[in-house]
Amino acid sequence: MKNLAMHKSVAVWLFISVAPVLSAADDALPQGEYLFHAAGCATCHTQEDNKGSPLAGGRALKTAFGIFYSSNITPDPDTGLGRWSEADFQRALREGISPEGKHYYPAFPYTSYTQLTDADLRALRKYLLSRQPVRQANRPHELPWYLRARPLLSFWKMLYFRPGVFQPLADKPPAWNRGAYLVKAVAHCGECHTPRHFFGGFKEAQYLAGNPHGVDDTKIPNITPDRKTGIGKWSASDIADYLETGMTPDGDFAGDLMADVIDNSTSVLIREDRRAIAAYLKSLPAVESLARSPKK
Amino acid sequence: MMKHGITRKLLFTGMMLAALVPLGLSAAEPEDVIKYRKNVMKAIGGHTSAAAAIVQGKVDYKAHLAEHARALQVLTKDIPALFPKDSDFGDTEAKDAVWTKRADFEKAAKNARTKVEAFAKAVQGGNQQAMAASFKDMGEGCKGCHKDFRKEEK
Repeated sequence: MKNLAMHKSVAVWLFISVAPVLSAADDALPQGEYLFHAAGCATCHTQEDNKGSPLAGGRALKTAFGIFYSSNITPDPDTGLGRWSEADFQRALREGISPEGKHYYPAFPYTSYTQLTDADLRALRKYLLSRQPVRQANRPHELPWYLRARPLLSFWKMLYFRPGVFQPLADKPPAWNRGAYLVKAVAHCGECHTPRHFFGGFKEAQYLAGNPHGVDDTKIPNITPDRKTGIGKWSASDIADYLETGMTPDGDFAGDLMADVIDNSTSVLIREDRRAIAAYLKSLPAVESLARSPKK
Repeated sequence: MMKHGITRKLLFTGMMLAALVPLGLSAAEPEDVIKYRKNVMKAIGGHTSAAAAIVQGKVDYKAHLAEHARALQVLTKDIPALFPKDSDFGDTEAKDAVWTKRADFEKAAKNARTKVEAFAKAVQGGNQQAMAASFKDMGEGCKGCHKDFRKEEK
């Protein structure tokens, strides 16, 4: 017992003196806070443009399928997650099913969060429950009539949703696996950067190769190492620097949604994690895309 | 006498109008304005990335740093002037907010401008840490404006 307490205090000390090292933090709160930033929850769940309350939802996400409004993820018991059990939370993020048993639209990226580990999901929930509760009812999505029936989503999931925790590859170095976990499960980069076909499933062969019809009417760039249409000419440190400061190798600066992602998420990460992401991205197969690259 | 006066007046008005015509023509084509501002922005990016390489110690051109800082000062003097009315369509990544939320846009541009000045001052001072910090801060200024006022549409 004493041993455990000491272990914990050492971990807390490490957290204060070094940085929130995800795997080293024994206390679930810092781990949850770190994950919260890494996953960029605030970016979608806060209506920043209209000075909305943090995490109370209502931000519009304009997609090719309609306008989705993010939900309230504050601990408010009636309009937020206050009454959700641990199991409710796990099922929502891992299976995309609400506590009432309804399917979520994949605008909520459970397609990525399904890969989060149990420990990370627990830590994330604990952190969210520590936030300021805000009473704000969720705004219904604006979708064409043929997409309004949620049971349809069970077919969609059958076709395109692969639930399951991230499995590290034994033949890859730890930094690569860490990068893969961050890109796939936590930061959910593919949700925007991988193109989707007509029914909204991912074009797996074009993983991270850019989406010409991205959210909010933007063209999302190819981030595979293709030299012509992707970021093949960026060094690993170019990528890590970009995720920290927003500056591209030619001195341009990120804007729009990616500026939010950098401010809320990737700039908050520890350096090693940005490097891990860079190493993972550099290792991907280069895919030439029609969506043009951000920079030459 | 009278008639002469009117003729003179007409002549004068005609000359004034003639003088205005070239002015009218010089209200540039929106496409050219857009191309121009893209090139200015590219120049800003060029000096920024060049300065970054020096500040981060990737290259050894310390003697050039003041020149890059000065160029950035000149180029960012009046960013809103690069976004006149009617240059909001065509091949531009500028968001409508540049014109619909003009006061916010001018504030963001001014913020970036202030940070460029601070960087230039730090370069004059020559303190490595101050240079690195103010360079990073300048980047925040660029990103801050791009975040709300530029579409990622390339």
